[in-house]
Amino acid sequence: MRPRPGGFFTPANPSVTPQLGGVPGFRDLLPLEAEILREAQESLLAEMRRWGYRHVITPLVENMDVLDVGLGLEQRRRLFKFSDARGDVVALVGERTVPVARLVAGKLRSAALPLRLCYSGPVLSTDEGRFQQRRETYQVGAELIGASGPVADAEVIALAARCMEATGIRRYQIDVGHAEFFHGIMDAVKLPDGVKAAVRAALVARDFVALESLLEGTPLKSAEHELLLRFPALRGGPEILEAAGGLVRNRRSEAALTELAHVRELLVAHGIGDVVVLDLGAIRDFDYYTGVIFEGYGPDFGRPIAQGGRYDALLARFGRPAPATGFMIQLDLVSEMLTRAPRPPALPRIDAALAWSDPGLNTALRLGSTLRLFGMRAVVDTQPRSPAEAKAWWRAIGAANLVHCRSDATVSWTSEGQRSRSLPPEQVAGRLAGGVT
Amino acid sequence: MQEEKVSIAVPTGALLTGALGVLAKSGLARLTADELGRQLLIDRAGVRVILVRPSDVPAYVDHGAADLGIVGKDILWETPGSHYELVDLRFGGCRLVLAVPDASSLNGPDTWPPMIRVATKYPRTATAWFDAHGQAVEVVRLHGSVELAPQVGLVDGIVDLTATGRTLKENRLRITAVLGSSTARLIANQASLKTRSAAVQSVVSKLRGASGGG
Repeated sequence: MRPRPGGFFTPANPSVTPQLGGVPGFRDLLPLEAEILREAQESLLAEMRRWGYRHVITPLVENMDVLDVGLGLEQRRRLFKFSDARGDVVALVGERTVPVARLVAGKLRSAALPLRLCYSGPVLSTDEGRFQQRRETYQVGAELIGASGPVADAEVIALAARCMEATGIRRYQIDVGHAEFFHGIMDAVKLPDGVKAAVRAALVARDFVALESLLEGTPLKSAEHELLLRFPALRGGPEILEAAGGLVRNRRSEAALTELAHVRELLVAHGIGDVVVLDLGAIRDFDYYTGVIFEGYGPDFGRPIAQGGRYDALLARFGRPAPATGFMIQLDLVSEMLTRAPRPPALPRIDAALAWSDPGLNTALRLGSTLRLFGMRAVVDTQPRSPAEAKAWWRAIGAANLVHCRSDATVSWTSEGQRSRSLPPEQVAGRLAGGVT
Repeated sequence: MQEEKVSIAVPTGALLTGALGVLAKSGLARLTADELGRQLLIDRAGVRVILVRPSDVPAYVDHGAADLGIVGKDILWETPGSHYELVDLRFGGCRLVLAVPDASSLNGPDTWPPMIRVATKYPRTATAWFDAHGQAVEVVRLHGSVELAPQVGLVDGIVDLTATGRTLKENRLRITAVLGSSTARLIANQASLKTRSAAVQSVVSKLRGASGGG
């Protein structure tokens, strides 16, 4: 609503005006935003296809039975749930790895492993996202199912890195960690189960003040105490693995370090060694991830835009035990980052505005078809216009060329910054398509 | 945002003096409340200090508009987010309490009515606390002068922050339960810790040292 001359703003009366802003937490994407999002999505899926990942589309709605198998309590709580006509409780998906796992254990159960699958689509959450207030977001992801070991881990991490590049993000960083490193430390420390649970909870909440006061109350030896407090800061290049090796004395953590060293070498061979940071303090969902985990960060952006890792336990819960690893990229964060770039993408221009006055409509329609065949963007006007009106319309839609069709024989062609010329329509089409002005 | 400069959000209000004290003691920036109050954003060698409302600190940090933030634990209870809580800065000590009028018959949980009405600036924390005690509660969210609400019969009691207990006493209220103890905390943006760890960690350890924290 436009402010009145007096400067007052009169809010619409909600009892008589529909809510034009839409449902809170759900966004409209305007042409430029939609274009950036779609381009980013296509680049991501194209990169995934280059690595042999097949695109699958799973529904927006899943049975709660299925989601219960794969999701933790917190995630389930945030789902939009309802019952369908048959009384089944169903939900709008909050992530898309579990639906892909259902597919692999179900309709694709006879497909040979390993399977490389990718997906793209919206995910929904009832959580109003604290400050972001977004309840519908878009994710593009890839899953490599049926392959274990560092070669598969490295493939998925390298794919994530190349995907970030494919969208046009120039500077980025991939943090690689290992869930088993932390599990090993927790196994080795002698603490009552209740305290261990509280330590995990403090770490998941990223509350190091709580962690510290928890540990102060325990009879832990100082080395273990120190390790639990300091391991979240263990990050850096390959030298960090050696430093960490000197701190841990348990087989699980040591095996994790060996595996990480191998994955790092493979990532160097993949050509992305310089964007990889080893992060032994990576704290993620401990119940879900079973091995190498990673996060992708863009420049000056407060949150990770890509997240993934190994989840070897999930497929077994659907009755088809198989190791698996994968990741997803937050498509809306990618497009937000591209929008904020020094030179943000612009909406592609319309190449030709085709105006007409009687009897030139048929010529305008034919010329439009021809130009589109050559891949150009052409808009035919919906009403006849005089030459002066046509120019105003041309400026309003911001097209590069105006072609005013007044008869079959010749049309008037104006290119930006040039004088109008009268030419036969075929010649105008030829010159426009050939890039001649 | 600059590559090297580490930005720190500090809160207006009760914690400001303590926050500026820690910044000065750490050698990061010597600022007076007056100049920061006038400029809101001040650049010094290596750091940028920004002044925001206490309840906005988590928003600035979670969105990455500030790398670090100094904020009371009471605010963090109320607005959990994706930040890391790194250091207990050990100033600004206070308690979040349930207080009722002196004349009220309410005391421990066994004296609570089937449905208790409380006024508070901390609806989330209050609701969670009563839930944990299995108590039905109606929370009235107020933005200021919470102490007034029970005196005019709006609610049975209030859940509010108190340092010395003086304001409560002046309003003829007494404490019947403590929900938690709060001090100032140093919080960090998750991505800042990962992508600019050296610069951010160096500021964190200076602040940790200045607070006398471990």
